[in-house]
Parts: sequence; C-alpha cells; structure tokens
Amino acid sequence: MNLLTLFLSALLINNVILSKFIGMCPFMGVSTKLSSAIGMGVAVIFVIFGASVLSWALYYYALVPLGLEYMKLICFILLIAAFVQFVEMFIKKNSPALYKSLGIYLPLITTNCAVLYVALDNITQKYNLIETMVNSIAVSAGFMLVLVIFATIRERLAASDVPEAWKGNPIAFVVAAIMAIAFSAFAGLV
Amino acid sequence: MKILFAILIAGSLLGLNVWLYKANKNTPVPEGCENLKPDCHGCGITDCSLRRTEEIREDTK
Repeated sequence: MNLLTLFLSALLINNVILSKFIGMCPFMGVSTKLSSAIGMGVAVIFVIFGASVLSWALYYYALVPLGLEYMKLICFILLIAAFVQFVEMFIKKNSPALYKSLGIYLPLITTNCAVLYVALDNITQKYNLIETMVNSIAVSAGFMLVLVIFATIRERLAASDVPEAWKGNPIAFVVAAIMAIAFSAFAGLV
Repeated sequence: MKILFAILIAGSLLGLNVWLYKANKNTPVPEGCENLKPDCHGCGITDCSLRRTEEIREDTK
C-alpha cells in the first residue's frame, strides 16, 4: 500500500476517534483545556509509536515462530503496560521538564484503548515494519489533531451562553457528533 | 511444549510488568512535580490512580 495513502487514510478518513469511536475517554476527559490536550496528544503519539513497534516485533519474532498467535491480546496488553511504566520512569529520571508537561498523562494512556487498537490493527492488516510505523504515527497524529480541535471548541464553549441543561458533556457530545459528520467528508480524499 | 512456551512468554511479560511497576514507584518524582494533577473531567473510570473515586462522583453528579 502506498505509504502516503496509508498515512492520510489513518489520519483523516479512518480517524481513530471520529470514525472508529476508540479512545473516547481521553477525548472527553482531557479536552477541557488546549494545553492539556496538546500534552496528552504528544504523550499518545510517543506511546502508540513505541508500543506498536514493540508489539509488532514481539508478534513476528516470538509468537509466530512458536505458533502462539492466539496469545497476542494478552501479550500486547502486558507489553503496553510495561512500556508505559518504563517510559514514565525514564522521563522521571532523565527529564524533569518533560515529566512536568507529559508525565501526568502517561498513567492515563495505559487505559487508552487506542494504543491496543493500533497494535492489533497492525497485525490484522498484515503491515510490514515501515507500514506499522507510518500507521501508528498517523493514527496517533489523528488522535491529537481531533483532540486539539475539540479542546479549542470546548474552550470557546465554556465562555459561551449555553443553556443550563446542555452545559458540560451534553454540548460536548453534540460538538463531537458534528465533528464526526464533518470528518466523514474526507472519505473521498483517497 | 507449546504450552510451556506460552506460560514462559506470559510469565516473563507479567514479571517485567511487575518489576517495572515497582521500579517506577520507587523512582523519586522530580522536584516541583510532587503535586501534579491531571486537568481532566468527564471520564468515568473509577479505578483511576490519578483521580479519587469521590472526585469523579462529584464531577458526574
């Protein structure tokens, strides 16, 4: 598959949040402020990329040769959790500034199903290593793109005159639905 | 033989997870980051290690 097609498809057309409805928890939870959304987005890009490459290697170099493909789900869950712990510890020790901006979001990413989705999707689609890397960057960049757009809208909504019953999550869900419709227009792009 | 490899792989990943979890817990938090709190609302996960269940209940009332 053409890498540019794969990238655009994962970034816009099959957007992980607005098309697959995966990762809705951080989408609703960490989108009240733009600064939080950017921090979470960067942390997600880093974790999804690292976890995808590691899980791809584990699958093709350990599980497939041993005939243990059926164990991919449990192995990927454990690998993602271990990777997040390692990254958090590494940042704590080596970069306090980075920990201040990203560290708080790392434990939240362990429970982000988008990470597991990308790891499993790379295997299901039979991507090679390069395609896995492109797909994982595109999916996570799509996650960040939508999160940042949504956060800017929610910041403006907070200052708007919204009816009492619609304040908070209800109006946010309406906005998310309109965004999903808008993103569906990208379907004819590639 | 296959089942042994399966147990070995799952066991090693589990062990790695537990070891990294403990090592991460024992790593001191950098100065100035002791009281960091996530600025998140709306998530209903009640076993989140960052936000106490009471806070979540308050938010979702």
